[in-house]
Amino acid sequence: MKITEKFEQGEFVVTAEVGPPKGCHIENLLEEAKTYLSDITAVNVTDNQSSVMRLGSLATCKALKDEGLTPIFQITCRDRNRIALQSDLLSAAMFGIENLLLLTGDHTKLGDHPQAKPVFDLDSVSLIHTVKQLEAGVDLGGNALVGEPPKFAKGAVVSPCSDSVDAQLAKMERKVRAGADYFQTQAVYEPEKFIRFMEKASQFGKPVQLGIVIPKSAGMAKYMNDNVAGIHVPQEMLDELRADKEKTKAGITGVEIAARIIKECRPYCQGVHIMALGWESKIPALLQQAGLR
Amino acid sequence: MLITQLKSKDTILSLTDGKKVFIINCFGCREVYFPLEEAAELQNEMNESGRVTGILTTDYICNPENLELQLARRQSEIDAADVVLVFSCGVGVQTVAARLEEKTVCACCDTCRLPGFQGVTPLEYDCGQCGECYLNLTGGICPITACSKSLVNGQCGGAKNGKCEVDPNMECGWERIYRRLEKIGRLDAMKCPVQIRNFATDKEV
Amino acid sequence: MEDYTKYRLKSADELAPILAGTDHLFVIACNKCFKEFTTTEEPDLAEFEKMAAAQGKTITGSTRVDFLCNKTQTVRKLKDMIPEGTEGVCVISCGLGVQTIADLMTENGGSDSRPVPVFAAADSLNYTGHHGMALTKKSCDACAQCYLNITGGICPIVDCSKSLVNGQCGGAKNGKCEVDPDKDCAWEKIYRRLEKQGRLEEFLNQPVQLRDYSKVNFKFVNEYVKSIRENRLDGYYGGVHPLERKEFTEHLALQKFPEPEVVAIPLSMHAGAPANPIVAVGDTVKVGQKIGESAGFISSPVHSPVSGTVIAIETRGHATRGTCPAVVIQSDGKNTLDESVQPHKSLEELTAEEIIDIVREAGIVGMGGAGFPTSVKLKPAKPVDTILLNGCECEPLLTADHRVMLEFADDVVFGLRAIVKTVGAERGLIVIEDNKQDAIELMKEKVAGYDNLDVVVAKTKYPQGAEKMLIKRVLKRQVPSGGLPADVGCVVSNISTTKAISDAIQKGMPLIERVVTVTGERLKNPGNFIVKIGTNTKDLIDYCGGVDSECEITYKAGGPMMGFTLTDLNVPIMKGSNGIIAVDTEHSKEQPCIKCGRCVDVCPMELSPLYFAKYADEENWQAMKEKNVMDCVECRSCEYICSSKIPLVTKIKAGKAAVRGMK
Repeated sequence: MKITEKFEQGEFVVTAEVGPPKGCHIENLLEEAKTYLSDITAVNVTDNQSSVMRLGSLATCKALKDEGLTPIFQITCRDRNRIALQSDLLSAAMFGIENLLLLTGDHTKLGDHPQAKPVFDLDSVSLIHTVKQLEAGVDLGGNALVGEPPKFAKGAVVSPCSDSVDAQLAKMERKVRAGADYFQTQAVYEPEKFIRFMEKASQFGKPVQLGIVIPKSAGMAKYMNDNVAGIHVPQEMLDELRADKEKTKAGITGVEIAARIIKECRPYCQGVHIMALGWESKIPALLQQAGLR
Repeated sequence: MLITQLKSKDTILSLTDGKKVFIINCFGCREVYFPLEEAAELQNEMNESGRVTGILTTDYICNPENLELQLARRQSEIDAADVVLVFSCGVGVQTVAARLEEKTVCACCDTCRLPGFQGVTPLEYDCGQCGECYLNLTGGICPITACSKSLVNGQCGGAKNGKCEVDPNMECGWERIYRRLEKIGRLDAMKCPVQIRNFATDKEV
Repeated sequence: MEDYTKYRLKSADELAPILAGTDHLFVIACNKCFKEFTTTEEPDLAEFEKMAAAQGKTITGSTRVDFLCNKTQTVRKLKDMIPEGTEGVCVISCGLGVQTIADLMTENGGSDSRPVPVFAAADSLNYTGHHGMALTKKSCDACAQCYLNITGGICPIVDCSKSLVNGQCGGAKNGKCEVDPDKDCAWEKIYRRLEKQGRLEEFLNQPVQLRDYSKVNFKFVNEYVKSIRENRLDGYYGGVHPLERKEFTEHLALQKFPEPEVVAIPLSMHAGAPANPIVAVGDTVKVGQKIGESAGFISSPVHSPVSGTVIAIETRGHATRGTCPAVVIQSDGKNTLDESVQPHKSLEELTAEEIIDIVREAGIVGMGGAGFPTSVKLKPAKPVDTILLNGCECEPLLTADHRVMLEFADDVVFGLRAIVKTVGAERGLIVIEDNKQDAIELMKEKVAGYDNLDVVVAKTKYPQGAEKMLIKRVLKRQVPSGGLPADVGCVVSNISTTKAISDAIQKGMPLIERVVTVTGERLKNPGNFIVKIGTNTKDLIDYCGGVDSECEITYKAGGPMMGFTLTDLNVPIMKGSNGIIAVDTEHSKEQPCIKCGRCVDVCPMELSPLYFAKYADEENWQAMKEKNVMDCVECRSCEYICSSKIPLVTKIKAGKAAVRGMK
């Protein structure tokens, strides 16, 4: 099932994200996904997230699909040139994986193999373009594909609370023009910024899913403020996380905050994308509090 | 014109390992970079062990004719050595290796790109010689060199406070480009078709 | 010779949409680099203009620029060049040149006016691998992890199409690369080379090689390059940093050089007319006695440094002019003072006119080498506010002025006060390079009591001691082309000269001796000596223990940069002889100019030395004049940096002589 069909039906689409393990055993991941994520629309599988080498995204997507979930194949330009990227896209299509999230990817220097050659033969925009080409039955080299071409829901990302929203919008427009069907955003903690962003982004007519990272602690929030692009956790949220340490540790505060953000932004977007970062177990409670269940 | 960095002392000593050595220093790119003091210190140390048959300090050894003039005068010292150690960029080492084909010629430096090499004066790394100039789309800021990932369709989204995810001291190239385009009233350039790089070298094009 | 032209004109089809709507264009074309230098025009500009005309564009103007990426010079060359009504600037160059112009136009565009858009009319050419400074084939990719030690000196990164580092891919057919059948398989070449050297076993035992791409670190290099640019542009444009090698003598106290038995006093040790001898063979003379009379406004008298008998007046060897008439005196060893040598009135009592007379009569000329009569300098044609005392001594090896400052500090300060008074300046500044900390401290102490005197510390850079550079560095004033320091309100004086002024006033002693540094890596016992004018140079070398006999030696009067090569050591020490050096002879062969641009980068007068070499060879003196050859200060920075070993200064001197002859 393509996620775009759900958007077209007017559904408020909920997705979440899982990160494959560093190793070849996937049982735990599948177990968690089945327990906590079986009633959401689709599950993103990250692609060597933060340039840390892990089990492959494509293989994990296939395993999730076999378990009856709908995977979204995240694919970055960091590790593969245009030949490998197209080849993996065809592989995904063969497995019946229909949803993609197309990214540039973090730089190799940020991960656990800083010596590695950063590829970046293509980037997010040209990758979207490439998928569109493949859908038209032609590869990037101009050669015809044999048989029925693949069809995907082409996702892309945007950072609504970035310091330079105008530049973000320009890039978003490039992605739309290249063929992006829907967007997932970077984690949002400032609903008013998100709403202002959406007022402008709505002109593109593409569904946007609000990005949510459940804040686990004041320390984590501060770390994100200092290090993660496009994220700013406001002071009052930091105070809230600090106020009752036990409550925060139990995840109650984080879920409250996340649920509040979702409620506030819901009228302005078409779905929510939850990056639980190990707190997958909190997702059902979050959806409940946010009024999505 | 390239920048050189001395290899580690252990690496250099392991190359000589009790053998007799002849040393060549190239100061050709003087005023640019040569690890002068470190090299001199190391060579003095080697010299004290009595295994150095001679030290030739000259410049522009990448020029085979002038190298020949220098080497011819020192042939006996070179003959007496088992290994020729060259303190220069990779071009210099290869020029010596080609001239002394039967000798073991070793590089004592690693060579780094010198930005602006393709121009004249050493400048910041401003042109990657990609062969398909993007400057018309970017307000005259090179996305190949100004962006860590050399992206040609816009920023990756990894910048924090306008700084690159790879190096927090580096401004995001695409934010710079966006501001420049804004300033010169050419934001319409962002609406250009999707750019896909051609990595074939000029010869292959 | 390989041609490393960096760009190729974009096609008309590609340019048409880019330039749509921009009809009035100014065109800037870079004259290319790293290719054999010719003075014929590059064709790209004309081609572009034709293309633009075909598309109905109006060209508002165009220019060809050398080394467009050289921002300092480009800014100057393009100043006020782009006419009103220009809607776009098209740049024909590599990406560096385009960005230089794009930055420039953006910086110039104020908040109210929008910058004129800049268009790249060319693509930079893409090739892998770099050549050296010589135009060799591409042979090094600067991977920052040199593999040549395991490959017998053949680069696997450049020579192998796949840049493999552990051996061949197996795709080669008949020893040729699978990517390019004209190219030998690099790894087969490497294998043969190692086999020849008997190093195959060593190769087999190498650990597996893994490339480390994080080593290509532009941050390190960019920061480094930034620091060199700052050095290069510090205070004034260009200049170089040759090895100083002052450690041979800077710590050695002055010694009185043994009394010469015979001295030969050249009648010309100064700029202008040679002195007329006023003694005859057989005359007895005393120390300080005038033996040659000034022969004009720009001229200077000469004096005897010994007492004894004139034994000849004849042509003798001369360090800078080949030969020159000289008064030869046999010393009687008694050093009887001439009656004329009497202290003058105090500085307070002397008038400016009197000081000028004293300086003229004492035969004082610029002792830094040029020998311009100091009395003329003390009567500038324009008002002067600042006296700069040149304590830079930027020439490598030389330490004479340094020692004078340390050992005759009071005399130097006295001399400076005399100059300040004579010229009527507001202040006197002693400029010392930061490699002479002891002199800086001492001088600061000595001037502490004078409100109008001060010490200025300058970061070491050659040729800082050149007047124009010194003025720019310290006062940020630009001496106009063909002008003198007085045109910008200052007078520059050399340290030893200033000390000589003090001697002339306080002791009444004319200029008969000076401090000479005798040094060089091939001299056995270097030192700083107080030497009588007229002493034979060979005696100095002998006194210092002679030279390492196994080496081929070059002797120079002066420093390694601006000194004169001595083919015969039997020449007298003169007023301008600040050093005698014995250094290794350099062997090199002049190669064709490859337009590397380094001479342009270092020329402190912002000239284009490469053209001088070309025009001198063509004997095109008019063109040389148009390129401002007369502004050259002959500092030799260009020759020092020249990758093709072109004897630029010789060619420039020929050009200057010819241009002088044109008048």
